[in-house]
Amino acid sequence: MSQPDFNVEIFQNEYLPAGGREVNAIVTVTSSGALEAGPAAAAQASEIIIVDCSGSMSAPRTKIEAARQATVAALDAIRDGVAFAVVAGTSGAKPVYPGDGTLSVADPETREAAKAAVRRLQAGGGTSIGKWLLLARKIFGTRPAELQHAILLTDGKNNERRRNFDEAIAQCEGVFSCDCRGVGTDWNVAELRKVSSALLGSVDIVADPSGLAADFEAMMKSAMGKEVADVALRVRTPQHARIRFVRQVAPTIEELTARRTEAGPQAGDYPTGAWGEESRDYHICVEVEPASVSQEMLAARVSLVLTSDSGPEVLGQGLVKAIWTDDDGLSTRINRHVAHYTGQTELAQAIQDGLAARKAGDEDTATSRLGRAVSLAHQSGNEDTAQLLARVVDVMDAATGTVRLKRRVADADEMTLDTRSDKTVRVKK
Amino acid sequence: MGDVTVSACPACGETVTPPGLFCEACGHDLSAPAVAVGQASPPATCPGCGSTKIDADRFCDECGRKAPSGRDHAQIDIGGMVGVSDRGLRHHRNEDAMALAAIDTPSGPAAIAVVCDGVSSSDRPDEASLAGANAAARVLTAALRSGDDPADASTAAITAAAQAVTDLGDPDRPAESTPAATYVAAVIRGETVTVCWAGDSRAYWLPADTGRPARQLTKDDSWAEELIAEGMSEAEAQASPQAHQITRWLGADGRAQDPGVTSFEPPERGFILLCSDGLWNYRPDPAGLAALTRPAARTDLLAAASALVKFALDAGGQDNITVVLARFPWPPPDDATHEATVPVTIPANIPAQPAKSGDPGSTPT
Repeated sequence: MSQPDFNVEIFQNEYLPAGGREVNAIVTVTSSGALEAGPAAAAQASEIIIVDCSGSMSAPRTKIEAARQATVAALDAIRDGVAFAVVAGTSGAKPVYPGDGTLSVADPETREAAKAAVRRLQAGGGTSIGKWLLLARKIFGTRPAELQHAILLTDGKNNERRRNFDEAIAQCEGVFSCDCRGVGTDWNVAELRKVSSALLGSVDIVADPSGLAADFEAMMKSAMGKEVADVALRVRTPQHARIRFVRQVAPTIEELTARRTEAGPQAGDYPTGAWGEESRDYHICVEVEPASVSQEMLAARVSLVLTSDSGPEVLGQGLVKAIWTDDDGLSTRINRHVAHYTGQTELAQAIQDGLAARKAGDEDTATSRLGRAVSLAHQSGNEDTAQLLARVVDVMDAATGTVRLKRRVADADEMTLDTRSDKTVRVKK
Repeated sequence: MGDVTVSACPACGETVTPPGLFCEACGHDLSAPAVAVGQASPPATCPGCGSTKIDADRFCDECGRKAPSGRDHAQIDIGGMVGVSDRGLRHHRNEDAMALAAIDTPSGPAAIAVVCDGVSSSDRPDEASLAGANAAARVLTAALRSGDDPADASTAAITAAAQAVTDLGDPDRPAESTPAATYVAAVIRGETVTVCWAGDSRAYWLPADTGRPARQLTKDDSWAEELIAEGMSEAEAQASPQAHQITRWLGADGRAQDPGVTSFEPPERGFILLCSDGLWNYRPDPAGLAALTRPAARTDLLAAASALVKFALDAGGQDNITVVLARFPWPPPDDATHEATVPVTIPANIPAQPAKSGDPGSTPT
C-alpha cells in the first residue's frame, strides 16, 4: 500500500501558571498523499452499497427511483479491480449483486450486471439497519481487504430493538467504515449518527431525492481516494497524567475519548479510520501534575500510527508541552486555535440542546440555546451553520445572539440543522 | 614548507601551515570549534523522578519532565581554564554561550575565553550568543596564531562576532528580527590580559592571595553606567528601572565596532573571571567575588566555578548564569596540561534550529 506523508502540527499555549494542571492543544494532521503511487491499489479495497428497500421507499415513488439512480452512479465511480457488492435492506437483508453473498471484482461487465440488478429493485417491508450492517460485515469477510467501506442509504426509522441495533454496530466497529445518508425527513438523525460515528464515516441528509446521485458519486470518489486504512491517533502521557478528552474538531466534531484502546504503558489509541489526501484537527486536553515554575514537561506525545500486518508504524508525531511560568502575560494567553474549536464544540452542543428543547416545547431554553448558537456561528465565521440556523430562528442581532423562534419550520430544515450541527470551520488564516 | 608548525588536516591528511583557517586541499574548516572535546554529557537520570528512561526529545519517558540538555547545564575543563553555564531557575532555556581555547602563538601559549549573553527581548537570543561566541573564538584563534597583537585580534574578533549575530536576522523582516547578545572576551598571554566587551557581561581580576585587591576590568555599556557618569550614586543608578538596558551589543545597531578594550598586567598570581549578569547581579563587587572564588580555585578551578554558579542559583537564579575562570599567568606554571590544540565552545555543535511554530500566537516574543 502506498504510504502518504503525515504532517502533525501542534497549536497550543504551552505556558501554565504556577500550579496549573490543564493543558490544551489542537493537533492538525495533514496527509499529503503518496502522489506518485496514487490511491490504494484496487485489490486492497472493497465497497458495499446498502440500499433501503422498505415499503416507505415507494412513497413517493421518486424515492426508490432516486435510490436506484444513485446506486447506479456510485457503481460507475467504483474503479476497476475493486471488490464490490450491493445489498437490499428491508426487515431482513439480501444480496442484490452478486446474488451469492460474496464480492464481485469491478470491471465493465460486472458493473453493467450490477446496474441491471439494481434497476430491478422494488420497495416493500420494514427497516432493520442492524441486520443490513451484519450482512455487509459477512460479505466483507468473504474477501478481506485493507480498506473496507460501505455506503448506507435509508429513509425511515429503524424497527429493531435498540439492543440488537447496538450489538450489530459494535460487531462492525473496526471492520469497515460507513457513510450514512438519510433521504426525506422520516428518518432519525440520532440513529444514523450512531452508525456513522461508530463506523468512522459521515452522516448527512438528502432532503430532495434528486440530489442523491451526485452525493453517492462524491462519496464513492472520496472512498476510492483513501490511501491508508486503520490509522490511530496515539496519545502517550506522563505518569500521573489524565486524559480529559480527545476529540476530532474538524471537519466535524467526533468524541473519541471513550473509544480509547490501551497501547502500552501510559499510551492509548483513538481510531481515525482511513485517510486520503486530507487534513483533520483534533482537540486534546490533558491534566498533568504541576511542576515548579520554569520547569518544562512533555504533556503528551501525539502520533499517527498505522496498524498493519507488519506491526505498528508511526507516520508522524508532535509534542504537546507544558512550561510553568509566573509571568501572567504568558500563562493567561489563550491560543487562537484552542479558543476557536472550543467555540465550535459549544456551537454544536448549543444547536443540539436548542433543537431538543424546541421539540420538548421548552421555548425559553430553545431560544436561549439557539441564540447562543447564532452568536457563536457569527463570531467564528461558520457561514453554512449560520444559514441553517436562520431557517429555524429569526435573527434580530447575530453578534449578541438575539433571536426569536420561527413559528413554522420545515422538517427538512430542522433535520438539516440537526444533522450538520457538528460541521465545523477551520481557523481563519 | 619544512616549517616546524606544519601539521595534517584532520579531514583529508593534507599538510597545512597554520594559521590557515581552511585546509587548502579539501576546504575543511581547521578553526571550527571541536565537537567532541569537553561536550557536557546530558545527565542519564531524570531530575524529576530519577528514571533513567530519557527519550530522543530529551523528555523523561516516565514523568514527562524535560531533562536538562547540553545547554541547560554545561561545563568544560581544559586545564587551567574552566567554564560552567546554567539555565538558572526562571528561564526555560539557556541563552548564554561560552567558548574556550588554549592555543600556541608565535609569542607563546595563549588562553582565549569568550562569554556571550543573548538579549532575551531580541529574536533568537540563544542562537545569537552561540554564533557570537563561536565567531569570536575562531577569529581570535586565527589572528593570534598568525602573530597579531592581542588588542588587534580582540577588535577583529568582536567585529566578526557582531557580524555573525547580525547575519542571523531575517532580511525579510528587518524591523522585528534583530538578534542581539552581549560580549566579553579575554586573551591571556604571558604577563598580559587583554579584555574586550560590549554590553554588561563582565571580566574581573581576582588575586589568588587574600588581602590583595581584586578589580573589575570591564565597564558595563549600560544605562546604569551612563547615569553614574552623570553623577548618580552607583546604588541609585543600579536601582533605576532602566539600569540593565545595555547601550552596546552584538547585532544590528549595536555599535560593537567601537568596543571597550583594555589591557592589564596583573602584578601577581590569580584568576581571570568572565561572567554574565546572572552571576554578578547577586555579587557585583570584586572583593566579594574574590572571596567566593577562593580558596577552592587554588586547588580545583572547576569546583570554584561550580560554586559561583551555585551561589547565583541559591540567590534566586533569575537569569542564565555563565562563569569562566582562567589561571594567571598563562600557561599556569603548576599545570602541565595547558595545551588544548583546538578551541572549544559550549554548547558545542548545537544545530541551528529554525523557529518551529505553526502559530505565531503561541510563541512568546
